[in-house]
Parts: sequence; structure tokens; C-alpha cells
Amino acid sequence: MSQSVIEQSVAENIELPGYSGKPILTMTGVRGGYGDADILQGVDMQVSEQEIVVIVGPNGAGKSTAMKAIFGLLKVRGGSIVVNGTNIAGWKPNRIVQHGVCYVPQVDNIFREMTIHENLEMGAFLRKGDISDSLERVYTLFPDLKERRSTLAGNLSGGQRQMVAMGRALMLNPSLLLLDEPTAGLSPKYMEQIFEITRNLRDAGLSILLVEQHAKQALAFADKGYVLAAGSNRHEGTGQELLADREVAEMFLGG
Amino acid sequence: MELIGLLNYAVFMAIFIGIYSLLALGLNIQWGFSGLFNAGIAGFFAVGAYSSAIVTAPESSVHLGGFQMPVVVGWIAAMIAAGLIAWPIGKVCLRFRSDYLAIATIGVAEIIRLIVKSEGWLTGGARGINKVPRPFGDLSYLYSQLAYLALVIAIVFAVYWAIERQISAPWGRMMRGIRDNEDAATAMGKDIKARRLEAFIFGAAIMGLGGALFAHFNRSITPEAIDPMIATFLIWIMLILGGSGNNRGALLGVAVVWIIWSASEFLTDQLPTEYAIQAKYMRVFVIGLLLQLVLRFRPEGILPEPQGVSSRTETKTFQKQESAAK
Amino acid sequence: MPFMEFVNFYLMPGIVLGSIYALGAVGITLVFGILRFAHLAHGDLATLGAFAALGVVTIFGVSPWVALPVAMIFCAFMAIGIDKVFYDYLSERPKIIVVMSSLGIALMLRALVQVIWGVDTETYTRGIVRPENYWGIRIRDREIYTIIAMFAIVGVLWVFLQKTKWGKAMRAMSDNPDLALLSGVDNRKVTMLTWAIVGILCAASGFFLGINTELKPLMGWTMLLPMFAATILGGVGRVEGAVVGGLIVGIVEETSVLLIPGEYKAAMAFAILLLILLVRPTGLLKGKVL
Repeated sequence: MSQSVIEQSVAENIELPGYSGKPILTMTGVRGGYGDADILQGVDMQVSEQEIVVIVGPNGAGKSTAMKAIFGLLKVRGGSIVVNGTNIAGWKPNRIVQHGVCYVPQVDNIFREMTIHENLEMGAFLRKGDISDSLERVYTLFPDLKERRSTLAGNLSGGQRQMVAMGRALMLNPSLLLLDEPTAGLSPKYMEQIFEITRNLRDAGLSILLVEQHAKQALAFADKGYVLAAGSNRHEGTGQELLADREVAEMFLGG
Repeated sequence: MELIGLLNYAVFMAIFIGIYSLLALGLNIQWGFSGLFNAGIAGFFAVGAYSSAIVTAPESSVHLGGFQMPVVVGWIAAMIAAGLIAWPIGKVCLRFRSDYLAIATIGVAEIIRLIVKSEGWLTGGARGINKVPRPFGDLSYLYSQLAYLALVIAIVFAVYWAIERQISAPWGRMMRGIRDNEDAATAMGKDIKARRLEAFIFGAAIMGLGGALFAHFNRSITPEAIDPMIATFLIWIMLILGGSGNNRGALLGVAVVWIIWSASEFLTDQLPTEYAIQAKYMRVFVIGLLLQLVLRFRPEGILPEPQGVSSRTETKTFQKQESAAK
Repeated sequence: MPFMEFVNFYLMPGIVLGSIYALGAVGITLVFGILRFAHLAHGDLATLGAFAALGVVTIFGVSPWVALPVAMIFCAFMAIGIDKVFYDYLSERPKIIVVMSSLGIALMLRALVQVIWGVDTETYTRGIVRPENYWGIRIRDREIYTIIAMFAIVGVLWVFLQKTKWGKAMRAMSDNPDLALLSGVDNRKVTMLTWAIVGILCAASGFFLGINTELKPLMGWTMLLPMFAATILGGVGRVEGAVVGGLIVGIVEETSVLLIPGEYKAAMAFAILLLILLVRPTGLLKGKVL
């Protein structure tokens, strides 16, 4: 108990040079993994208010794992994960959801046998009372979905499914949104659309942590980026700085 | 006199333990080493018992027979017949999770029970098949029992040895690999379906042999001898309690459960007759409860599967943590 | 054979039997779909429900129709209790272990019935009920009630699953359990709710089998195979599929006697099961394959 309070206060006092804004998420020295092996060997990250932060890195670097660690989907064995001033390391996902963090997994991120509308309703499962304001907001963000609200989500195209998945996660009005490779397998048109929505969400006040394979495109609009390799931080900087970094370019961006 | 009676009883018990051991070893191949859920053991047992009886029994007006083949031929026929029943079932169901096999094997046992009861020309119907020859049956009672016991022990050891050999061969390592991690085994390009089918048929054949030994021991086989649920269930609790994946555990489980089962019968026999039915089914209830307790408190059984030959525990912890993470 | 004879002696009994199977199969499909295992104690839970209703009838001297809701509530609590005391502790182990446990529960439930009620055949009411004649269709009132009750019970369940928050949560858990948990659905509550519904359905199927035939300790166990065949035929996880599957299995069993000896009526369910697994494992309505 006392230790986590200390970690918490330490984490809150960290001011990374060059970045402003109130920190929403601060990860400090996070270690953990599935089974007994640590995949994350000490990851530090910070996402501030109204920021898009992109995690890039080679396959197996621990990008998705880092995201799952935030969301309580694997055992965190060390370090702290502070969201809105509270250390949430070790919490169960349903509690984390109520704390304002929503997560869109890379795969299996929709209810296939439920309609678009029901998918969104499931997103708001923990909310009591009227949810029409959130529904309206999501339908405004994704007009395509409004038209097809009674369609089974499993019958949609890949891009539309991704929209349903993001819409579902937005139903609880989170302060931090975790997107795990939202553009994987999508056509360039849909990829651009997803990225645009991501930017709009940020501009509307949301903080977003994004894992992306399309590193170049994502870093181009990211406020900040982290390069992970072998389960720990390798580089960090603004999106433009990372794009300009020769080593990063050679290692992860394909020259 | 008392001593002779006790000895007779002990030999009788030992023969039954031997026969149940074969069934448990057969189930160990299917469940213990390969993860296949067979809920129709009684069916394969019945097929073996009736096949061997038909092949060896003298001519009868009631049922098919008169082949009067040597007992050994009967036993081989029992194994082949049980294996032949297992083949199509395995072929259809082994593509899916073991739940489907469980349901299908319940169905097989049910169908076999129907056939045994309805096809009188084949099985003698309710009267069953009598005059099944018994090896060493000409000797005096005790010697005949002792000789049959020796025979049963020899067969159990032969089967035990054959399974152990098979399990330590590449075939066995592959089976455990498939059981513990199907994805990884597929990725390694092993022909899982064929291997699992082999294990299912192999196990069924041994159960058939157990049935044959039973029929020849009793000199008869009738539908009453096969209570599908109890027989199947007893074998399951024997294997799980003893330690599935460990042949010695299976044998130990058979002895422990059979002694508990018989002792409880001895106890309930002391009760006044008006409680006879209640007592009989209380025993069944308790054996069901015993399974629940073993599953919950000692799932690895008395003699767990030896470590090192298997990566099972590792997989288990992994699964545990994953579900805990959820 | 005249058409009406076929309707009266084969089709109608098939629909009645099929309705009873359907009630059981809907429960099996819920457990299979949401909790993801084959519940082998399902038939014996139905037996318990049927005998519980008998207990109410004999103790209070009420009509069996009054006893039915009591038996439903009793079975709902039994099902929740069995889960809490036995299955729940195995939830982190491979699902097949729970299947094994349910086989043991089947044995225990049946033994319980045999200890309390003995092994004799029982009935709810004495006397022979002759079928009424409705425009040439000969059917007993209790058979009409059976069919109506099946559609009513499944209809209520259907509306619950489609329209209510917790009904949707159950469907979500069946559809994508991980995402349901991420959405904050409480797994334990859904599990409890599922067992309560399963208990109610079990009691209903046992009761209607009992009121149309007799009560025997093995009545539920013999229904297990047809109920599973109906579930898989309809598509695992599909409530409407379980109804269609149940009716088909019932009708096929009753009409099979035109072609094969009556003793093998019970084998039809097995034949349907193997056939559907062979040609279309997802079932008629595209269910899950575990």
C-alpha cells in the first residue's frame, strides 16, 4: 500500500522535458508478461491530455503487451501505471473501464452476432440511465454506422467493423482510449479514415494511445512516439523527431 | 473353512480388479495420454464381451454361435470388434473438442445396449449368452479361480508393458504433445487426427479385451451385466483418483475404488432390507461425490503423471494465468 | 396410409415429443454457447424437476400445473447451487474437466431421485385420458398445453435475450466472452442467470415428459442424447435452432417406426447427431463449433 503511494507520487512528479499538458497516463518501469516470463522489461511512457501517442517497434517488441498491461489483461510484476492520479496496476479490466480507460483489441473486437446498435449498447453496459447522448456522439463520428444500425456487426466490412469497435469503446466517454493496431488489414482508404477519426477524437479532448504497424503514417500526426524493442523503451520523441531520426528510420520504418 | 472362503473371496476380488484394470488402462490411453473423453466405456466393454462369447460359445438355439473357436481367437475378435466400433465414431468426432466425443460415446453405449436387448438372434436377448468356455474351467473351483487370476494378471501386465513401451516411444511423446498443446503440435506438422484416432481405437480395443475376460470369467454375458452408467463411471473415478496419465496410478485407482465400492456394498448389506434401495443408490451418490472431491482437491490423482515427460503443468499454469488475467 | 392417420399417430406425437426435447435443447444450447461446455447432467436435472413437481403434487394435493412453477423455481436454485458448489471451482481448468464433473453430477442427481422416490414408475394423475377430436386431428389437452407452453416459454426467453440489458449481456458473453468482460459484464452474474434459466427449462422439459408419459429415474438420462442431437442440429448457441432441432428430432423419432423396428427409435437421435457432425457441424442455423 505505502509503496504504491510512493510510486504514485513519484510518477506524478515526473516531468518529461519538452512536453506540456496534464498527464493522463504515466507508466514507470512496468514489467510483466504471460506465464512466468517477463515480456515487458521496464517500460516508461506518458500520455498527456489531448495527445495522440504512438507506440511503434518491430514484431515481438511488446507493443500490444504494453497496452494489455495497462488494461489489466496480464500480470504486472513491477512498476506503476498511473491513470488520472491513481495507480491502476493490478486492477481488473471492468474496474479500469470505470476509471475512464477504454480499450479496442486488435482482433475479435466486436460482437459479430449482435447489431451495430447492440454493440454500442454493450459498450455502455456499465452506465446507468440514458445513453442517447453517447449514441448520438458515436453516430455523428461514424455516420456510416447510423445508417446500418440494425445490421449484424459480423456482416460488415473490415473498416466498418473497426468503426464499430471504436464506437463501442467510446460509449463510456473515456478519458484515455487504447487502440491496438486499428488499421491492420484495412484498405488505404479506411486507414486514412480511421486516422482522421483518431485526430478528431483528440481534437475533441480525448487522449489516445495507439499501437501501429503503419509507423510512418501514424508518426506523421502523432504528438509523441515511443519506439519499443525487446520489451523496453528504445527511443522517444515527437512524431516528427522520430521520423527524422536515422536510426529509427533504418530499424523500424523500412529506410 | 473360513479361511478358504476368505481366500476365494480375495481371488474373486483380484480377478475383478484385473478386469477393471484393463478398462482403466484403456481409458488412460484415451484420456490420460490423449485427452479423449470416452463416456461410453460400457459399450466397448459389451462389444468385447459379446464378440468373444459368440466366437467361442457352443451352438445354441437362442443366439448366434457354434463357431467354438479357441478362447484366444475370441479375445482377438473382441479387440477387433471394439476397435471397429471406435473407428467411425472417432473419425466423425475427433475433429471437434472432446465434448462432442463424450456425447457421441454416450450414444454408442446406448445403441449397443439397444442392440444387445433387441437382437436376440445375435445376443440371446435378455437371456444372454451362456456356456461361454472358461480357460482352466475344468479344474476344481479354487484352482480354476487361481489359474484364471494368473491369466488375468499376465494379460494386465502384457497390456501395461505394451502401453508403457508405446508411450515412451515417439508416438507417446507426440500424443502428449497433442494433448497439451494442440496448436503447437499442428504447427509442427504432425498428423493429429490420425494419431488421436489410433489412440481412441487402441484404448477401445483394450476395453473390448476387458469385456471378453469378464464374459469368460462369468461363463456368461447378459444385458444385466452391463449397467452403462455405473460401469463407465466407476472406471472414470478409478482413473482420475489413481492419476490419469500414469499407468501405475490407474492400476492403484482401480484397486482403491473397487475395494471402497465392494466394502460399501458389504456395509449396506448389513442394513435392514427396507433400506436396501436407498442404500444402493446412496453408494452411487457417494461415488459421484468422490469424483467431485477428487476433481477439486486432488485433480492430479494419488500418483500424478511423472514430471519431465510432459509439459502439461506448464500449460496449465499458463492457462491459469491467462484466465486470471481476464 | 391415409394422411390423417399419419398426422394423428406419427406427426402429432412427434411434435409433442419434439417440444419436450426443444425445452431441454434450449437449455443445453445456452450452457454450450455461454459457459462453453457440454452439460451432461442436463437430463438428470430434468428428472429431478419432474419428480420435484410430483413431490409438490403428492404433499399438497394440488394439480400438476400448479406444481410446475414450484418445480421450475426449485430447479433454478438447484442449478445455481450445483454451479456454486461444484462447477465454479473448476472454471480455471480445461472445460472438459467441467464436462466430467457434470457426468458425476448426472449420476448424483439420479441417485438422489432414486433414494427419495425409489425406482418405481410414477404418474402425476391416474386414469386414461382420451384424445379429443379437432377437425379430424386427435390430440389430448395436455399435448396441446405442452406445445403451447414450449412456444410460450421459449418466446419469453427470446424477448428477454433480445430486449433486456442482461439478456443482451448473455448474448454478448456467448458471442465474444473476452470483449464482454472488457465491456464490464460481470461473468458471475451472467453465469448465475444462465443457470437459473437452464434450471427452469430443465424442470419444464422433465415435467412435460412426465405428464405425457410416466416418471422414471432414467427418464432424463434417456432424453440427453436426443436433446444434444437437437442442440447440434439447430446450431450450438442458437435458441431458435434448438427449437427447430428439437422438433425435427422428435418428429424423426416418432415417424422412424414406419421404416425401422420400434426398439431402435432411440437410435435416430444418434444417427442425426453423427450425420450433422459429418456434413454440417455448425448446424442448420450456423451455430458455434467448439
